Amino acid sequence: MFLEQLINGITTGSIYAIVALGYTLVFGVLGIINMAHGEIFMFGAFMGVVITSTLGLPLWLAFVAAAVITAILGYLLERLALRPLRNRPDSHLAPLISTIGVSIFLENLADKLFGSGNHPVQNSLSEASFTIGSVNIYVVQIVIFCISIALMIALSYWLLKTKGGKALRATAENLETASLLGVNTKRVIMVTVVLASVIGGIAGILVGMAFSSVNPQMGLSFGLKGLAIIILGGMGNVKGAMVGGMILGLSETLVVALGYSGYRDAIAFIMIIVILLLRPQGLFGTKTA
Amino acid sequence: MLGELINPYYLQVASFILINIILGLSIYVTLASGQLSLGSAGFMAVGAYTTALLTTNFEVPLLVGILAGVMLAGIFGIIVGIPSLRLRGVFLAIATLGFGEIVRVFIVNTESLTKGAIGISGIPQLGREILDKLEVIGFDPEILGLKANQFTFLIVFILLLIIVIVLVCFFSRQKNSRVGRAFSAINMDEQAAASMGINVTYYKVLSFTQGAMLAGLAGALYAHVLSYISPADFTYHKAVEILTFSVFGGSEVVGGAIFGATFLTLLPETLRAISEYRYMIYGILLVVMMAYRPQGVIDEQMMRWFKRRKGRRQQHGTENK
Amino acid sequence: MLKVAGVDAFYGQIQALKGIDLEVEEGSIVTILGANGAGKSTTMKVISGLLKPKKGKVTFLGKDITGLRPDQLIRKGIALVPEGRAMLAEMTVLENLEMGAYHRKDSEVDKDIAQVMERFSILKERKDQLAGTMSGGQQQMLAIARALLARPKLLLLDEPSMGLAPIIVADIFKMIKEINQSGTTVLLVEQNAKQALKIADYGYVLETGKLTTEANAKDLLEDTSIAEAYLGG
Repeated sequence: MFLEQLINGITTGSIYAIVALGYTLVFGVLGIINMAHGEIFMFGAFMGVVITSTLGLPLWLAFVAAAVITAILGYLLERLALRPLRNRPDSHLAPLISTIGVSIFLENLADKLFGSGNHPVQNSLSEASFTIGSVNIYVVQIVIFCISIALMIALSYWLLKTKGGKALRATAENLETASLLGVNTKRVIMVTVVLASVIGGIAGILVGMAFSSVNPQMGLSFGLKGLAIIILGGMGNVKGAMVGGMILGLSETLVVALGYSGYRDAIAFIMIIVILLLRPQGLFGTKTA
Repeated sequence: MLGELINPYYLQVASFILINIILGLSIYVTLASGQLSLGSAGFMAVGAYTTALLTTNFEVPLLVGILAGVMLAGIFGIIVGIPSLRLRGVFLAIATLGFGEIVRVFIVNTESLTKGAIGISGIPQLGREILDKLEVIGFDPEILGLKANQFTFLIVFILLLIIVIVLVCFFSRQKNSRVGRAFSAINMDEQAAASMGINVTYYKVLSFTQGAMLAGLAGALYAHVLSYISPADFTYHKAVEILTFSVFGGSEVVGGAIFGATFLTLLPETLRAISEYRYMIYGILLVVMMAYRPQGVIDEQMMRWFKRRKGRRQQHGTENK
Repeated sequence: MLKVAGVDAFYGQIQALKGIDLEVEEGSIVTILGANGAGKSTTMKVISGLLKPKKGKVTFLGKDITGLRPDQLIRKGIALVPEGRAMLAEMTVLENLEMGAYHRKDSEVDKDIAQVMERFSILKERKDQLAGTMSGGQQQMLAIARALLARPKLLLLDEPSMGLAPIIVADIFKMIKEINQSGTTVLLVEQNAKQALKIADYGYVLETGKLTTEANAKDLLEDTSIAEAYLGG
């Protein structure tokens, strides 16, 4: 029982971590919090519903569709809601408000496109499970965990070892210097937003697999959880996102196990407030972000 | 005669406009000191539930219930506001968003007290209560040629109008007072303001708490106008809607909240087709405003222009006489 | 090689440059002198593409480069070491050097990096250290080395001696001279006018956004009015 809960917590935690990665990337490079990330993630989740449940196509195709749709959304977000605000000194709140606008637009667009309420997600993996000793493990949980870890490792490798990743880090640290060294920072910013969106889209599919249901409002609650995690783990910090995700996933599972399932969603918010007040730089952050 | 002119539906819409103006003001007054609160829906809920619970369960007079709601929202404002001083703009916004959601989750989960997601119905209606009191002293709306329900809608509207006028006067005056100047100094440059001897902590908490109290007041009034509230009335959507009133109308001036709330409340009422896409339109508006006119439709320059014109016309008028 | 003609530049409403004309001969060291706020760094920003001029024209090797972005200009052979060195403090020394060669696609990048590290042995010793942890003089060397890895035809140096101990300043100027001798044209902005003029071929003097004097470096060194104003007597 305890082990099963632990596995649940780790599974959801690893998904939360991936949602958080999207915030971290964009914050790292642009210094803004993309409030529309949760809704882009939700569109990815709906691709899972459309491809597997509605059209009856294989799961891998859902990943492809989610990546394509969220890449397009990320592109539009950058072009229409972020780029016009850049190089204007007047307000640091403008990008926040602008992305809030995108979030509310996308949520209601999804409501119109896919219909409100919960949409079931079915795929061949949903029911498969095996038992080790007394512990029942769903195959889906293992798949989710492996994809999350693989994604995390791939992203870290890309950031640390490749030319593109280094250009992104240079841009994140100092836009002007990066451009003097020959980095087309406009393009790096675009790549960052699109990449973050695609990662969000993949997380969306994983959530559909884990919870077997998606709805247009899930962007907000998952988005806030992602935010809670980067606030916990420190802004612009991949490792922090992973650990923060695990902490949130496990504490939520704990709260549910203790019988307070109604307060499950509140943990993230309480975490946001407590961390912001006690240690605004996060658990792993060194800089004041 | 008067009875034919009074359409309860129009009065209802007008009352909502007035409540929304109060909500728009709550964003305006917090933004005046450079703070963005996304917790207005949460403070609204505090105000609404406080008075709803007090008046339905303990038969507390409406005025006391509403004041209690405002006070409690204010106390929450201080509680959230003081620690939030350490947070820079964006993080404050997220912390307040977290606050709003905690309030909502709390309401949904304390079913024994708040009836959870179902909400509270049968909250005493403001107009009804006033009519009851007046009938005791022998008043009959027929004297004015009005049916009872016409009178209740009318009296609610008039009451709200008075409240809004008082608030608008207060905040317009505050803008040009010491307090208002301190707010805008902090908004422009907090450190510079502190070095000029402005007590930044005090004014930021003051501005935040004023915003919270306004939202609480709007929530309390909302409860007694509609007589039914549920957690669904105080979601993230509501917070964004309130934000849009101010951002669209103009967040620099009191007039911005008035224009924004009026225009955006009337829009879906007059164009029914739009109503369904209301939130999508809000979203587009926020993006477009940030890109092209971050200060909102009405800004200080426009207000000055209005004043000059008005001044000139008055001068004209006296010359003609 | 580089020609700046009639350039006006603004920061918001404030005009920082008024009709700047200057020229840099291939193979030379040219220096721009002037007091704080005279517009020296602004001139560098315009040439390197960080700031778009409102009026005027910049040509490089006969081509109009006015208004191009820095990442486009580095591909044409103009590299700037900005004031304050602009380290990527959270990246390692080696990564900083790699970023210097970012725009290059040739096969000699690794060889060049190895060569640079031979020349500046301190960079080799500390290649895995974060750049932000190095001393000011080391950072300046890294900044210059990083710019050289771009294989620029024209190297712009903005106040390379700022904030450094005198003994290190001498090193830096020696290095600049060497860089020039190996074939790179240098445009140098300096507070340290005497040192700059000693290694330069030609000099310009900027005052509140306008060029007031230009002459051979040797003549400027001997000019008493310049000496009074900028060389500390």
